[in-house]
Amino acid sequence: MPPLQPVKVVIAGPVGAGKTTFIQTLSETEVLNTEELASEQIGKDNTTVAMDFGSLMIDQYSIMLFGTPGQERFHFMWDILCEGAYGLVLLIAADATNQLPHARRILDFITSQVRLPYVLGITRSDLAEDDAPRRIADYFQLDEDRVLPLDPRSSQQCFATLYRLFGLINHNTSPN
Amino acid sequence: MAVTEQLNEILQGLRAAIPELSGALIASTDGLAIATSVAGGDSNRMAAMVATALSLGKRITDTFGGGGLKETSVVGEQGQIYIYSAGSKGVLAVIAASEANVGLIHIESRDAAARIAHLLG
Repeated sequence: MPPLQPVKVVIAGPVGAGKTTFIQTLSETEVLNTEELASEQIGKDNTTVAMDFGSLMIDQYSIMLFGTPGQERFHFMWDILCEGAYGLVLLIAADATNQLPHARRILDFITSQVRLPYVLGITRSDLAEDDAPRRIADYFQLDEDRVLPLDPRSSQQCFATLYRLFGLINHNTSPN
Repeated sequence: MAVTEQLNEILQGLRAAIPELSGALIASTDGLAIATSVAGGDSNRMAAMVATALSLGKRITDTFGGGGLKETSVVGEQGQIYIYSAGSKGVLAVIAASEANVGLIHIESRDAAARIAHLLG
């Protein structure tokens, strides 16, 4: 990674996976979010309708975090937000197995527009069976080193996810 | 009269008052179409997009200290869309040709947005 250049990372995934929380946990600056009242039953009161934005410094790198909305109707935001990104964190709730096809579609949509290294963060593992991360890794045909259990409220676990992604990014030389 | 009927009546009223409109729709702030008067096109996609635009507009006014977001717009070479906040839950969007009378659009649409806000709560 060229030093001193902002490093853009996109956080995507289905509704309720924890994208907004992930960015709020990591951001050192005031987070921009675009949450509105949810008119559907999605398990929470608010939902992101445009994007989240947060930023932090890791060593000399300025990391810019861009969160996407989860619902498919906002798919026009997914590739806009991925422009110039170095990598992608795809978050999936372990207890929402019915959302796996949607998560797959998000990943396919994004990776069909840009080639991005990505890792999977499995959230809400405590609410699912113990083997949920393994099963989700199998569903995506990924090695387990690309799939991490993640509590998006835990700073340490959010950093671990970013570091895993940076390991992948270091094998590339330029953003898309 | 059910809320949906009243909302549709408001849209029809707008179309009648502003013949230059090619469409009008009411969306929830989280991007779902509630009532639409749009010939052709994809009103579901429009509903999501105008909600996104309105929400971004709110963050912009928050950032520059502009107070509550009232309206935003997207103006192209061949048409324009005006997007109004309609209470805490609603979005009104009107689509017009480039030569349309923007003053008239605003007078009618702002009034409609206030009535929609009252209906949606």
